[in-house]
Amino acid sequence: MKLSATLLLLLVFNTISGQTTITGIVTDTKGIAIPGANIYLDGTYDGSSSDEKGNFSFTSSENGVHTLVVSFLSYENFSLQKDISQMKDLTIRLKEDVNSLGSVVLNAGTFSAGDNSKTAVLSPMDIVTTAGAAGDYIGAFQTLPGTSTVEEDGRLFVRGGDADEANIYIDGLKVFQPYTATTNNIPTRGRFSPFLFKGTNFSTGGYSAEYGDALSSVLLLNTINEPDQEKTDLSFINVGMGVGNTQIWKKNSLSINAFYLNLKPYQEIISQRVDWIKPYESLSGEAVYRHTMKKGLLKVYAGVNQTHFNLIQEDINTPEGINFKLKNRNTYLNTSYKGTLGNDWSITTGTSFANDDNDINIDNTDVNNEENSLHLKVKLKKRFSNRFKLYMGAEQFISTFSEKAQADTFGLFRTKFDNNSTAAFAEANIFFNKKLAMQVGVRATNNTLLKYTKLSPRASFAYKTTSKSQISLAYGDFYQNPGQNVLKYATQLEPKKSSHYILNYLYQHNRKTLRIEGYYKTYNNLIKYDTERPEFSSVYSNSGSGYATGLDIFWRDNNSIKNLEYWASYSYLDTQRDYNNYPNRATPNFAAKHNLSLVTKYWIKDWKSLVSTTYNFASGRPYNDPNQSIFQNRKTKTYNSINLSWAYLLSQQKILYFSVSNVLGFDNIFNYQYANTPNSNGDFARRAIRPNADRFFIIGFFWTISDNKTDNQLDNL
Amino acid sequence: MKTVITALVFFTVTVINTISAQSSYEKGMIKAFELWKTKTPDEAINLFERIAKAEKENWIPYYYAAQVHITTTFGTKNAEEIESRLTKAKSYLNEAKTLSKENAEILIMEALLNTAYVAYNPSVYGMTLSAKVEELYQKAKVLEPENPRAILYHAEWKMGSAKFFGQDVKAFCPEVEKAILYFEKEANNIPFYPKWGKNQIGRVQQNCKS
Repeated sequence: MKLSATLLLLLVFNTISGQTTITGIVTDTKGIAIPGANIYLDGTYDGSSSDEKGNFSFTSSENGVHTLVVSFLSYENFSLQKDISQMKDLTIRLKEDVNSLGSVVLNAGTFSAGDNSKTAVLSPMDIVTTAGAAGDYIGAFQTLPGTSTVEEDGRLFVRGGDADEANIYIDGLKVFQPYTATTNNIPTRGRFSPFLFKGTNFSTGGYSAEYGDALSSVLLLNTINEPDQEKTDLSFINVGMGVGNTQIWKKNSLSINAFYLNLKPYQEIISQRVDWIKPYESLSGEAVYRHTMKKGLLKVYAGVNQTHFNLIQEDINTPEGINFKLKNRNTYLNTSYKGTLGNDWSITTGTSFANDDNDINIDNTDVNNEENSLHLKVKLKKRFSNRFKLYMGAEQFISTFSEKAQADTFGLFRTKFDNNSTAAFAEANIFFNKKLAMQVGVRATNNTLLKYTKLSPRASFAYKTTSKSQISLAYGDFYQNPGQNVLKYATQLEPKKSSHYILNYLYQHNRKTLRIEGYYKTYNNLIKYDTERPEFSSVYSNSGSGYATGLDIFWRDNNSIKNLEYWASYSYLDTQRDYNNYPNRATPNFAAKHNLSLVTKYWIKDWKSLVSTTYNFASGRPYNDPNQSIFQNRKTKTYNSINLSWAYLLSQQKILYFSVSNVLGFDNIFNYQYANTPNSNGDFARRAIRPNADRFFIIGFFWTISDNKTDNQLDNL
Repeated sequence: MKTVITALVFFTVTVINTISAQSSYEKGMIKAFELWKTKTPDEAINLFERIAKAEKENWIPYYYAAQVHITTTFGTKNAEEIESRLTKAKSYLNEAKTLSKENAEILIMEALLNTAYVAYNPSVYGMTLSAKVEELYQKAKVLEPENPRAILYHAEWKMGSAKFFGQDVKAFCPEVEKAILYFEKEANNIPFYPKWGKNQIGRVQQNCKS
């Protein structure tokens, strides 16, 4: 009884008289007072906000050990576990949240596009509404600095590197054949429809240790996690038609789309410089399935594509031209899972597989080749805090290539090789504070075909100079295997190597962005051979080398003129290399010294129209004239092109689209082909390599059908 | 006897605790609304957050903490402030969602959050979030077909896009009339349950005049 009474008294006493005053001051790491911070005892009503001088004081009837929590916008939460009687005259220093908008970003070498990045230079819509890109996501990146305009090829040429030096990844997994099959001087396109992606990162150098086997550049495409709604998209254009559908149920969604392209009707109307026997025809289908799980997201992508065409290519050495026939069949599968493991660990894993089959006929030679490629990858991330994150991973590449060539002149010839690589990488991401950040990593690669193991270090730093500007630095070593065209004949080779040194300045204010980047890049161990093109009997070596240096400038303004957005890119490139069959160091044909792009997008409200223009300029491209004693000594005339596109919204879900490339019909010349032997005057005759047609027209009608009547396909154009 | 008294004491203390918790919830909420009204939104947010943390299983204080952040962004042009407020509002709404699933009011607030993103930077967020806003309103209306806020704000959103595409804004005026009707009918016994929005009718109706 006595005990109970004491207990009762004790309880009553506690509730009545246990008033503890908790006091202190809240400051940032430099000791500057933070007013308005929220201070409270976790799980109780007791708390207060800090005053103008950062001071706070409140009373609590609690006692014993409690957790004091302090929170404030764009600062990290602070918590303190202590007996509340000792919570007096506390000095609480809040750390700035390095994830907030004002923080420094590690961006040297990288262009982000998408909604989640602080330094995004292109919005998702830009990628596809850029005039001249014609719905090809690669086209929009070609208006960014660091790329060279190589219209007759269509692929990405980055900072003095050829197109094979750039790799493309979807959800972190390699895309083995990112471009549609084509032949010399017929520009290719990206295989994937742009609407699949929500964000992209385009790195023109100094990229993360996560990516290898690329000397110049990586393009990272991320697919949409969750589609917003169910819908059907129909598109009718003058060169084909497409249909797409998205279904959502429970924790699943499925998007499928199919596209049929046939250039025949178009080429019958618009005259072409190429003699098409069977114009370009392709059928492609894609499906994406997404499943949300308790702790992660599973995505499965499958794409199939069949392409065929038959043409006669002009050739200076063969008056009747060369007949080229191609049938390509490509299958690509990409499965990825991203999820959390608990304890601040997360995992990203997946596999991609590609089967590529070509049936080629060049005059009387039949070539049939098949490549199977597999990429397996696992990546772990440990988040120690907002300021320190560790990434590590391992990946395996397995590929087999086999080719059968047959002709009357040499009979049957078979080649086959297996190219397997194992790689591991680790990278640390450290924010010292909101102003200074660093990323250091290393990648190790072992290749069984060429029998090598290489270690490549990567590092980047960023420092915020003012609230609107920052500078960053990046360094990295990069290795890449020789291409399939060489590997099928020679495997006693080393990988090619490049090193990047990058200095970047970024200014962002009021929806205006200025980005200036200078770089220096060295090339070593480039592949050389002693014949016109790689052949069975050629002598191969790693004796090639080169350099590239330049300055890239990007300016974007979305603010100054109402309804107008524009960006301008300028790249200066100084590069020379000794590779392939070059007799000495020289500037390759794809590397123009000056490249300029000006892209505008103007929304005319009264006409419900988005009008886009793109102007591209490139200085003359080097070419070799055998009539001259010096190799690659001449330059073509400058390249100019103005592209125009017009999207007219008939209603919110019906769009009429018109686009024309090279409106003014500039007569562009990319290169010259010279005769193998001189004519009777002792001169080598030549033929200009020009576009297949000066202009390309697209007229299309795009219709979206959904319950929700606001969505349209403007982001597909 | 001992056990009886102990039990009694225990019971009394528990009852007192519940009573005092209830009243501190009400007191706290009233105080927070006052702070919001007297133009100290950050103080109000702090208090809503403290209440939410103390209540543990009540979505309502989180909901209001998010709402104050969202409405505050309409009055500023500082990009950094807008982004951090909206990020914070999003995390409050996520907390609210884990406490109350399939809640029309939270969906409406989420639609407003996304609208704030679109208003802040139309060229970046317009294309990506518009479909989402639409989806959220439709979901909210499926859950509560007579929710006046869903109807009013959905109508306003549609008027906005109709204006942008040069279509007839007045087509959505009957929806506003419907909202007025449902505001009158609205009844909910849960204390502090959202019932705001009636005073916005006039503003939305401006589009129906002339």
